[in-house]
Amino acid sequence: MGDFFKRHRILVLAVVLLVGSLLLYSYNLRHKGATTFFERSVISLSAPLQKAVDVFTEEVGLLWTNYLWLVDARQQNRRLLEKNRELQGELVALSEVRLENQRLRRLLDFVDTIERPALPARIVAEDVSSWARTIVIDKGDESGLREGMPVVVAEGVVGRVIKTASYSARVLLITDASSAVAALIQRTRTRGVARGLGGNLSLDYASREDDLQVGDLLVTSGMGGVFPKGLVIGKVVLAEQGKFGLFQQVEIEPSTDFSHLEEVLVLLDEETGQ
Amino acid sequence: MKRLSVYLLIGLFFMLLQTTVLPRLLPSSLLPNLLLILVLYLALSESFTRAILLALLFGLLQDCFSSTTLGLYGVVNLVIFFQVRLLVTRLSAESPALLLLLVAGGTLVQTFLVGFFLTLFAEAGSVLQVLLPALPGQLLVNLLAGTILLGLLLVLQPQFGARSGMAGLPHQSRYHGS
Repeated sequence: MGDFFKRHRILVLAVVLLVGSLLLYSYNLRHKGATTFFERSVISLSAPLQKAVDVFTEEVGLLWTNYLWLVDARQQNRRLLEKNRELQGELVALSEVRLENQRLRRLLDFVDTIERPALPARIVAEDVSSWARTIVIDKGDESGLREGMPVVVAEGVVGRVIKTASYSARVLLITDASSAVAALIQRTRTRGVARGLGGNLSLDYASREDDLQVGDLLVTSGMGGVFPKGLVIGKVVLAEQGKFGLFQQVEIEPSTDFSHLEEVLVLLDEETGQ
Repeated sequence: MKRLSVYLLIGLFFMLLQTTVLPRLLPSSLLPNLLLILVLYLALSESFTRAILLALLFGLLQDCFSSTTLGLYGVVNLVIFFQVRLLVTRLSAESPALLLLLVAGGTLVQTFLVGFFLTLFAEAGSVLQVLLPALPGQLLVNLLAGTILLGLLLVLQPQFGARSGMAGLPHQSRYHGS
């Protein structure tokens, strides 16, 4: 027996690892809602690094756009450019502050319109896979975040928290293929399920007898218990009633611009404020 | 142990690059999968035990850094690793184009396996509708990243002299095939 393991050491290792991984995957599939110790540790350890790299990249980006591309102009008129550079830097910084102010003000105005307590958070990283749509925010367990909490901005729904660590959390965007949100068309009250398609969303189970039109607003229906009722998801860009079948094909353009998200609001539990 | 730490650091660096720096420069559908390239390189050039453990670890890390269930990329990486080890005995491992060929094949196999597991086991909705249209772009961008990394490796490896070579380079690694 010992000889067998010695002679087939590599094969045994390969089989053990493969079967072990499959069992791990299978176990985690059945306990999807929970964040494992391994995931929690990796997220906790990597979040500060991600934040640091994010800030560094932003600074390098600002340095590049504010200074390096002005080298030609500097050769033409050194003194004027130096002055111009300083002013440019200040202007960009001021503009950045003004834009941030505007965004936060809009978020604050939006907070007044919703009944649940909300916690602002900053986006620090995106998903490592090119096909999945998730983001990492800089608030976690310590701030009262839990799996399943809805994430929104003033423009509409962003997604929901799927993993949490002490000081960071992962948010599944509504455009992800595995996301499904109970929704209804505001004008006709047609119910359906908004599923992610990567960029846009589809509205499944919309009755073909309802008269849906391009431009109709899609909002959360409040069913399913994750999102409060009435949050904007997007608007109809395509509604096709086929000749057969019970449902029509509806495509939704999300109201949130996911490529320019910087700050979001996490809606906390109503009773506890956590 | 030293080499293991270096690979871990490279993996972590690639992960940070993919989650924080590259999303600022490229659209999400055109992000290269640097970890896949690293796993393929390890499968080609490292000892079996070290490479398989790193492939599994990088898969689990990739799961943590994405929305997938823990274990998915672990299994996928192991399957890709075994395929490379079986395949490479039948190919000319000294050809520089081998790594690029494996990057193309690895991308296809990874997309297929992820789609297969998610569709069959995870009820991930219309994930194939997202995976398949993105495949040509992903293939191109992975090949481009593989070419750049191979070029960097050819320049950097003689500088540090830690290895005599790798599969895909003029000198075959003495660890290959063990």
